[in-house]
Amino acid sequence: MSGRGGRTIKVDTLARVEGEGALYIKMAGDRVADVKLKIYEPPRMFEAFLRGRHFSEAPDITARICGICPIAYQMSAVHAIERALAIKIDPAVRLLRRLFYCGEWIESHALHVYMLHAPDFLGYQDVIGMAKDHRPLVEKALRLKKIGNRIVHLLGGREIHPISACVGGFHKVPTKRQLQELAADLEWALEASLETVRWTSTLEFPHFEQDYEFVALQHRDEYPFNEGRLVSSHGLNIDAAEYEDRFVELHVKHSNALHSVMRGKGSYFVGPLARFNLNFDSLPEVARKAALEVGLRPPVKNLFRSIVVRAVELVFACAEALRVIQYYEAPAAAHVAAPNRAGVGQAITEAPRGILYHRYAVDENGLIVAAKIVPPTSQNQRRIEDDLREYAAHLAAWPIEEATWKCEQAVRCYDPCISCATHFLKVRIDRE
Amino acid sequence: MLIIGCGNRQRGDDAAGLIVAERLRNAGIHTKSCSGEATELMELWHDHDHVIVIDAVMTGASIGMLHVWDAGTLPKHVKVSASTHGFGLAEAVELSRTLGRMPARLRVYGIEGREFGIAAEISPEVIRAIEMTVRRIEDEIRG
Repeated sequence: MSGRGGRTIKVDTLARVEGEGALYIKMAGDRVADVKLKIYEPPRMFEAFLRGRHFSEAPDITARICGICPIAYQMSAVHAIERALAIKIDPAVRLLRRLFYCGEWIESHALHVYMLHAPDFLGYQDVIGMAKDHRPLVEKALRLKKIGNRIVHLLGGREIHPISACVGGFHKVPTKRQLQELAADLEWALEASLETVRWTSTLEFPHFEQDYEFVALQHRDEYPFNEGRLVSSHGLNIDAAEYEDRFVELHVKHSNALHSVMRGKGSYFVGPLARFNLNFDSLPEVARKAALEVGLRPPVKNLFRSIVVRAVELVFACAEALRVIQYYEAPAAAHVAAPNRAGVGQAITEAPRGILYHRYAVDENGLIVAAKIVPPTSQNQRRIEDDLREYAAHLAAWPIEEATWKCEQAVRCYDPCISCATHFLKVRIDRE
Repeated sequence: MLIIGCGNRQRGDDAAGLIVAERLRNAGIHTKSCSGEATELMELWHDHDHVIVIDAVMTGASIGMLHVWDAGTLPKHVKVSASTHGFGLAEAVELSRTLGRMPARLRVYGIEGREFGIAAEISPEVIRAIEMTVRRIEDEIRG
């Protein structure tokens, strides 16, 4: 829509993002007057829903927040509650949880790279159009995703909303032989992921770099999943227990998702690009080499190159899954006891889209008295708007349809999971 | 024949497909349950000739109405599954067709829903439609 001296970019339904959202950008000449990423998915009420429930229910309840990253919710929930109860898990369980996360990353990254993001670079409206001309790419994506599903199914009991993870471990653990049966598929997936790195690196990327503050977990000797300090490219280095001292969620009028900001600073960037930039040295050699071979080295500041970084993380997830399978020996018990005890615990884990923070306070009967969940998309949301403010200005001279399309693509680089990001909203009505 | 119930149990009427699948299972009929994400559906129905998918839909019709479509006639404007990933049943049908992976016969039982909020109760009209759908599929299978 063009008006005198200004124009409006409006996308009522963002396609190919998880959940539902809308985007509004108002231009005044070549200046961006306003940007609003709108969320209109029904509000999330999980934090309230959890209060009064026993802590053992939290992993299964929170897994329902998202059909794409239920493992992330389960992992943040169990780690936060284990911290509240001062429980130490078996090292074999720790390995299995890493494998569980590998399955989810493979599923989620394969879906995003090929089905949701690739059509943007190849000039298709969606993967259905793309499949007509690039059938082998789509077939490869389906096979990769199926292998991720297999891991999640084996460890979680089923692909969607897995039920096996529990506070203290798993309800049931696989045998070594069961894990070894995954190896041949994962060898194929590793090769397919290496091809994915090479292929994505040949795509054409718009020139758009920003000075982001990248935030991710960092572990002494592993690419992070479930453990580590929370660090940033600008010097942050904290424990999960300090998260709420440094980050705060703000309600903004146009969205019923909360915007998370760094106190005294503003937006920050979580997800594959942040992890890669802050943890490059912890990647296994096969993934580091694959990145360097296509000229990808930290810091990567071009948002659009996130598709290549996701492919590198696919390589990591396959290599890590194979490592776990090699070293795994079934634990003596599937889980350690989790007796009722009052306490407060926080945990941050790395969901496919970035850090996911959970905090629980439980009473002496094991009932949850307070819960807080900050999903990755609500952490990136302010950053997405800041990017669009800059990016839309670059596109001021473009025809409106193309500029709109380009802005949608920029949002999809974050792989936003909008259905995770909405919280319950307290409505205030002002009357004069 | 493969019967798949889709949806999300935490979101009111969106549980309809899952409950139908569960009721049929309890009656001794083999069914699968899933969220309705496209690639998962495609994986489930791969190599099956005759498939029934049950899901909650929003078409603007009266709540509790049962729609039955052959995959080829699935209306484009239908919003299937509230737990949308932007990539659900309609996309699974289209992509399967493009890749030559469509079952010979695929029918969708769509139960018109209205309430899809988190932790919402299932509407009474949808509960009645669930009963009707279970009976209809049972009759169809058992002749």
